Amino acid sequence: MSTHKGLDLAMIPPRCFQGVVPAIIATCSAEGEPNVTYLSHVYWLDRKHVAISRQFFNKTVRNITANPYASLQLYDPLTFEAYEVDIRFVRSETTGALFEMMAVRIEAIASLAGMKGIFKLIAADVYEVTSAQATTHYLQPAPDDPPRVWPAPPERRSEMRALQVVSDRMNRAADLEELLGSFLVALRDELGFEHSMLFLPDDEGTKLFAVTSIGYGESGAGAEVEIGSGLVGTVAQQRKLLRLSDLPSDLRYGRAIRGQTNARGEHVLTPEIPLPGLADAQSHLAIPLLLQDRLIGVLAVESRDPLGFDDWHEAFLNIVGNQAAIAIERMVDRDDDDVTEVVPAPPSITDGRRSHSFRFYKGEDCIFVDGEYLIRNVPARLLWKILRSFADEGRTEFTNRELRLDPSLGLPAVKDNLESRLILLRKRLEQKCPDLRIPSSSRGHFRLEMDCRVELEERDS
Amino acid sequence: MDSPAAISDDLATFLESGISVVVGSRDAQRRPAAMRAAGAVVSADRRSVTVFLPDQNAARTLDNLRDNGRIAVTFSRPSDHRSIQVKGSCVELRPATEDERARRETYVAAFVDELATVGMARENTGRLTSWPSVAVRVEVEEVFDQTPGPAAGQKLGRTA
Repeated sequence: MSTHKGLDLAMIPPRCFQGVVPAIIATCSAEGEPNVTYLSHVYWLDRKHVAISRQFFNKTVRNITANPYASLQLYDPLTFEAYEVDIRFVRSETTGALFEMMAVRIEAIASLAGMKGIFKLIAADVYEVTSAQATTHYLQPAPDDPPRVWPAPPERRSEMRALQVVSDRMNRAADLEELLGSFLVALRDELGFEHSMLFLPDDEGTKLFAVTSIGYGESGAGAEVEIGSGLVGTVAQQRKLLRLSDLPSDLRYGRAIRGQTNARGEHVLTPEIPLPGLADAQSHLAIPLLLQDRLIGVLAVESRDPLGFDDWHEAFLNIVGNQAAIAIERMVDRDDDDVTEVVPAPPSITDGRRSHSFRFYKGEDCIFVDGEYLIRNVPARLLWKILRSFADEGRTEFTNRELRLDPSLGLPAVKDNLESRLILLRKRLEQKCPDLRIPSSSRGHFRLEMDCRVELEERDS
Repeated sequence: MDSPAAISDDLATFLESGISVVVGSRDAQRRPAAMRAAGAVVSADRRSVTVFLPDQNAARTLDNLRDNGRIAVTFSRPSDHRSIQVKGSCVELRPATEDERARRETYVAAFVDELATVGMARENTGRLTSWPSVAVRVEVEEVFDQTPGPAAGQKLGRTA
């Protein structure tokens, strides 16, 4: 019989990790005292990692805290064959998807056993697998045993768990802003996409604007991309995923114009907001978010690793992209008629000692704050209406609905993307004028908060 | 060193019954190893326990025991999870005798019965390797209640 030894869990049947037959774990104290005990469940995380529930502060926990090495023997619930797995303690998780999954299971078992509250998960302990092998001659061959065949276990990926987390987060998001933010955070935390950006189309359908990003110093909110130009623009036009390594720099997100426009200052009334990007990115992946053939947005990710993105990344982002498209559409389409009545909070307007000047250039349809470009088009008109309402009537509470109904804002009758414009406006204010904020106060409502005085000025051009 | 812990008659009966017996040891670098034993026998003076390790899969554990002798043995009844852990030092390693072979076969049969109560198929569990075995005599230093729960790990009172 050949020995079946490896560095990961590939040769161990998945059913050994279903908690059917208790496994055993040996640990050793700092003083050299071995300990051996049973584990009701060893959780498979990926081929190199397992997790063990920590319910009590016992000898195993004390030992691995002092000496991280442990050794498992796992039993196949069908054949009773045994496998030896050497592991090393990596970390304890007390929040997050793994912890929650284990906590629910333990809660359920405790409740079934009439021990609710006694068995409680303290932590999910994650271990790295350092070696694994079948225990040879653990069982004697059956008299008429055919030669042993080791079936390849079905490929299992920890990405499935990540997919569940991403999907859950999107599903729970209360509004578009939370949805977009949690989407990128989940992609980073669960799937390791450190640098990502999300684009939405503008109302004319000729451009995309960046609405949020993660992993870049600057958010780039408001940065625009022509549909058809650069990686993101091409993906938007072709409605096809693109994965590129060693991309020529002039193609990257079509941000060749960046250098020229930054230096020009106030004389140019519609300067470009620079697109964030990694200067040394080696791999790029952009996927269109589609509903049928309609473009809902584009998700772009970057990596410094030339092999940063693999086939599975494509497949994976496709799945989460499809779900994101549905979720975004659901938020955008939402009817604000069922807005809850909001209890007005005391106005959060403090004069402060600072003063900011907002200048609206009607001809160019854009706003400058303290001489710096802030925003243009629909979000600019939104901001101007908010600021004028405050200056003229002292209003600080607003509803999405009244903005939708205001003809001066020029929102399209259907699919006005108001929420995404408000998000963009919020992010631009965060960057350019944090003294002025427009947080949402409840569904369909937002309010104006200021720690400054504002001066408003309108110019024709 | 503490005086060896004595094992009561009741406890001896439990340890020798058809229950799961597993062994923990460690090497010179304090890297642990775990394996299943083919049962155990308590000495007449109740101060040591002899566990039987199947030759064919005990090499790592035997190396560890020859290196430093430190050993933990955990006994557990699958049907109710009642568990006891014995800690001590390996004081003797020798090939099991023919007399002991018969007792190993009796043990495996009882263990197979026990596992059948929790749904494990006899045609598999009945093939558990128990022979040839190395007899490992452990001088008992401490005995713990290891039944799962908040009290797991509590030291049992000594009678010595």
